[in-house]
Amino acid sequence: MLVPAILLIPMLFLIFVVPGISPGIDLTGGNVIIVRSQQELTEGGILSALQGFDLPELRISTITSPTGYGAWIQYSKNPLINEAEEVIAQAEANLENEIESISLSKQVISLLGGEDAEYDNAKLALLDAQDILASYKEGFSTSLQTALTDELGLGADVEFQKREISPTLGEASLQGIINISIIGFILIIIVIFIAFRQVVPSAAIIQAMIFDVVAGLAGMALLNIPLSLTTLPALLMLVGYSVDTDIMLTSRMLKERSGTPGERATTSMKTGLTMTGTTLAALVAMILISYFYQIEVIYHISAILFFGLIGDVIATWLMNAPILLWFVEKKK
Amino acid sequence: MNLLKNWRILLLVVALLFICVVVFVNFGHDDKGYLEGTNVKLGLDFEGGTLYQIELQEAVSVEEINRIAVIISQRVDPSGLKDASITPIGNQFIVIQISETNPAELEKIESRIRQQGKFESNLNGEIVFTGDQIKKVLRGDNSYGVRKQGDTTFEWSLPFVLNEDAINSFTEKTFHQCSATSFTPDGKPIYDCEKTIFFLDKPDALIVISEDQYALDEEAMFIGNRLLNIPQQTEIEEIIEDSQLNVIVYDGSLDVNALVGIQTQKAIVSSDIGNEVVVVLEDNGFEVTKVEAVDKPWLWDVINAQQVISLSESITNEDVADIAHAQQFSTLRISGQREDVETALNDLDELAILLESGSLPTPVKTISKETISPSLGESFKSLVILMGIIAFIVVGIVVAIRYRMAKLVIPIFIIGGSEVLLNLGFMVLIQRPLDLAAFAGLLAAIGTGVDSEIVITDELLGKSKKIKESLIKRAKAALFIIMTSAFTMIAVMLPIIFTARSYPGIDKLYGFAVVAIVGALIGVFITRPAFTKIMEIIVGKIEKKER
Repeated sequence: MLVPAILLIPMLFLIFVVPGISPGIDLTGGNVIIVRSQQELTEGGILSALQGFDLPELRISTITSPTGYGAWIQYSKNPLINEAEEVIAQAEANLENEIESISLSKQVISLLGGEDAEYDNAKLALLDAQDILASYKEGFSTSLQTALTDELGLGADVEFQKREISPTLGEASLQGIINISIIGFILIIIVIFIAFRQVVPSAAIIQAMIFDVVAGLAGMALLNIPLSLTTLPALLMLVGYSVDTDIMLTSRMLKERSGTPGERATTSMKTGLTMTGTTLAALVAMILISYFYQIEVIYHISAILFFGLIGDVIATWLMNAPILLWFVEKKK
Repeated sequence: MNLLKNWRILLLVVALLFICVVVFVNFGHDDKGYLEGTNVKLGLDFEGGTLYQIELQEAVSVEEINRIAVIISQRVDPSGLKDASITPIGNQFIVIQISETNPAELEKIESRIRQQGKFESNLNGEIVFTGDQIKKVLRGDNSYGVRKQGDTTFEWSLPFVLNEDAINSFTEKTFHQCSATSFTPDGKPIYDCEKTIFFLDKPDALIVISEDQYALDEEAMFIGNRLLNIPQQTEIEEIIEDSQLNVIVYDGSLDVNALVGIQTQKAIVSSDIGNEVVVVLEDNGFEVTKVEAVDKPWLWDVINAQQVISLSESITNEDVADIAHAQQFSTLRISGQREDVETALNDLDELAILLESGSLPTPVKTISKETISPSLGESFKSLVILMGIIAFIVVGIVVAIRYRMAKLVIPIFIIGGSEVLLNLGFMVLIQRPLDLAAFAGLLAAIGTGVDSEIVITDELLGKSKKIKESLIKRAKAALFIIMTSAFTMIAVMLPIIFTARSYPGIDKLYGFAVVAIVGALIGVFITRPAFTKIMEIIVGKIEKKER
């Protein structure tokens, strides 16, 4: 009982203080490019290639694996494009008010260096503004890609992954994630209570489950994995998985009559460790492959599961088992 | 064969046979887009492609968002070649998947989504009215809809309102555009009227079409095409005239003088024209795009012609001699006839969307996108397969170390493999593509499966041999554990299923949740009962020997 309690403190520290968990661009908005190449990729090289593009909050990391090189580049939207998009949205929303809308559209045109013209129709002005923004963005995106391609020595057959998420979309996704987590948590509590119908064992399973999630989150903080649309399913999967051993243990402790409670706990532990052992072994293989080959989704999921399941070994056998032993003894 | 007498095992065998047919028998598709040798569809992660997430300025009704989705789909993939799939999410978001990955192309598509579509209605080589002059399609009006006329005729009718400028232009340009060709027995004239042609996003480009293609198109248009809204006896010259575009019919030689004075710098060339022509065009400052002919008239396709609508004598002021006295119509009505309600409704719908598509009912606020290059998808695919195989072997090793008995290890393996197969089969049945998230869901399902099999095995092996519980009783204890564990997995995944169509981003997890849930159900109802029975038999034999 003592070990989990003591472990909880550094884990919470990792999650909430240093290094903490940052939300990913799925939830905050931003741009990510992941590139894989046979040529060596260096931070300095990429940085110099991207000079002159005015990319705020630029972050770059590179990886060398036995089979090649990889780079991960994150940045926020170019401020000029950002501003132009916002003004155009206003112009579009204000189409009813011709004068206002035309002046907004003209603002965009001059912002992006277009030719000044007079308009008497708000829609036509908007169309021109949209045209000019489109070609500006097209040019920006193409030259960014070209700069990267040249610098990274990527041929026509580039292995890349690119994400551009708007902040408002991220907000909506975050809301979805929060709802899913709350409903999922409630549902799982209901399932467990229905299954066992006793407060103490059910509560013990739930606290073990929470401990697992905390362990998974601590792993995320340690490995700098952001909270995102990928890590949410990982945490859900962790919950679904980690309760398996707790359910097995609780069921055997409460429902079976063979042997002493201590014996039952020991045999359960043998089964439980085999269960978790198979999963952990598979996860290690997946973590290694997905890390070196930059399959972000699988890397995040398997790393979180790995930490969570280590947490589960602790929570189940050092916390849940003693509680159940005490509970069964007391009932006698 | 004794094994098959047990219904649990029989059920598993039948399910496996069925799924093998579903997964492996090719029902006539080529391998593109599928996992080699199977019917398992591959998603964006493995095929490469782009996912757009469009956010509208404000939340709208379900009806409205469906309509916007249709308009956007026409803008994104007018020719239907890019295999786009478009799904509204909640009341404010639309998700589009498309196979395109070229960044410049993607920006183009993005701006097409954002922009107002440029609709125009042309007659005799002049614009009669444009999309921004259409005030409104009167969807709520009495005359909007489909009406039954006689036994086999259904008339659809679409009223819309033009603004002041367009009304004047319409009156002027349609004035006396019908001519009496004959008379009915009771002396009323029968008119033959001019046709107006509708364009959406007509390209600003020089069109160069080969002689052969021209002949093909000419014939195809004259025959007409119901699906493309080309009526019979449509003249290709009329289409070209109304398009106001420079169209050169290439007969083996290109007169450079013909290129002088053309305003645009873009040229669209039919793909059967040789590169020597492309070079000449490029030398003259044109940016050339070659477009292949698909199963529709090439010219109709590249100039984005949409509809041919015949005028009627009721609006062309045939009875008025002087245009100054012409009656003006602010509300126009387009109508047509079909043999059944469905096609009539369909035609009406298509045309209404076309007229409205000048502007989206609610503007787009932001567009997010995610691209995976096909080569990366390809390597993801092989890595994921490798990962699956390694994970399977590693799990096998752990199980082998624990039980040290092939009799116990092999069934765990076989059942694990069956669960993978059944899951894949289910995805084929519900037409869900396999992506990375679904792959993760598959892992979750298999993981729970192996866990359950270990529980069953241990439970049956008997922990305390002194107290002889019957095998069936032990199996029941195992059943409780696997049921509860399956239902916890279902409980955490269900909220994803319920909210996948309400929040953007969550829809990407739909495949993951479906696979995890279905995997749990397959396990509880098909594979694990069979596994329990097999293990009962094996453990029974082992215990007999020990005695």
